[in-house]
Amino acid sequence: MGQIILGVGDFGASNNPDDEIKTFALGSCVSVIFLDPKTRSIGMAHVALPDSTINKAKAAEKPGYFADTAIPALLAQMAELGCDKRGKGIIVKLCGGANVMDTNDTFQIGKRNALSIKKILWSYGMGAIAEDLGGNYSRTVSISISAGQVTLSSPGKPHWQL
Amino acid sequence: MVKKINPDELEKIVASIPMISASASRLLQITAQPDHELMDVVNLVKTDANLTARVLKVVNSAAYGLVSKITSVDRAVSYLGEQVVVSIAIENCAGELLGKELAGYEAAGGELWKHDLRAAIAAREVVIQSGADMSPDLAFTAGLLHDIGKALISDYLRGTAPEAVEMISSHDSLDYLAAEEKLVGVDHTIAGYALAQAWQLPEELAMAIRYHHEPAQAEEIYRPLVYAVHLGDSIAMMGGYGTGSDSMRYKLDANYADYIQINANILANVMLTVDTEFDKLSESLSDSGEKS
Ligand SMILES: [Fe+2]
Ligand SMILES: [Fe+2]
Repeated sequence: MGQIILGVGDFGASNNPDDEIKTFALGSCVSVIFLDPKTRSIGMAHVALPDSTINKAKAAEKPGYFADTAIPALLAQMAELGCDKRGKGIIVKLCGGANVMDTNDTFQIGKRNALSIKKILWSYGMGAIAEDLGGNYSRTVSISISAGQVTLSSPGKPHWQL
Repeated sequence: MVKKINPDELEKIVASIPMISASASRLLQITAQPDHELMDVVNLVKTDANLTARVLKVVNSAAYGLVSKITSVDRAVSYLGEQVVVSIAIENCAGELLGKELAGYEAAGGELWKHDLRAAIAAREVVIQSGADMSPDLAFTAGLLHDIGKALISDYLRGTAPEAVEMISSHDSLDYLAAEEKLVGVDHTIAGYALAQAWQLPEELAMAIRYHHEPAQAEEIYRPLVYAVHLGDSIAMMGGYGTGSDSMRYKLDANYADYIQINANILANVMLTVDTEFDKLSESLSDSGEKS
């Protein structure tokens, strides 16, 4: 089985039923998951920050890092696997975006990431059918391409599905 | 049943940890002084053959890609800078402790050291990018050492992670510190502080270890530094580098604003810098360990 491990700011997609896409320990980062039933392909981006205007050079080098550049980049990669360019028919799931406890507005990066992602998805006419966002814990996500199953885990908690 | 850590037991744990080397201890003393110079660091490194060798190995490692080899300590230290030298010294004498698996938190070997490096860089960047009036170098060192207490109590916490997590979600405990206290009698800041005293660390560092989750309780003169570490720690966890089951399960004290001016934009830039700088620093430190 091939494992596609995505670090912070990475994105990737696959239609190989033997593959698994995995990302470790999302804190305030949000994982955007695209599942396309038509082509049986799945993609994911590990988004760290809401807005690329703070560093255009970083966005050019690692588009997956920012919400506004990650979604077009992931869609383009999915399109190479035969998915609709504008994301028609793609199922979206979101997870991550945690915060430390008693956080103030400034430190709510998790929340801002999620909001920014939703706004951009909306501009494509896309929306999440399932989400597991917020809370005060880190999440590890793995998706098997064949089953299309999104599994989440966090130290000290039993695994759960999204 | 989990074994509790009473004061005698804590004393025993601390006594079982090797002392830091005399030169590392001196280095931490020197660098905690506001008026020290890089030359003081150079002279200190020169007194320790082991540290000298490590410093030269790091500066000549592939990570720095120097065209010609550096053979003098003076040049190596000024090239690497104080923070890298301090990281090398701490890794050299407490690397085993900080690199160990934290079974009690369900964290693998190396996770604590990575968290510490991220917190160190983040604390430094918070100071630099907010323009706060304190030493970024000291914030870095305090960040490196802040969670050392976890390595002391982790074995006692073995198997408790699900319970600790449940205690917090059911509001039986306010945060992970409170859960640690309930489960083993001592939280990681108290354990860390006991070690800091045994190691005779400078008071600034001991205070950062003791109060990084409750900065308001630190004495006023130490508070700016303690708040910087408090934020650095939060940023490390937010960036996905916690130490397992306790990650994100601590409270943010928003009164940092009395000492550190940081807005959403600065914070985003700090997080970005931490990602880049962490890769560089961990590459240079690990690289040097493998080759000889
Ligand atoms: Fe801590
Ligand atoms: Fe920490």
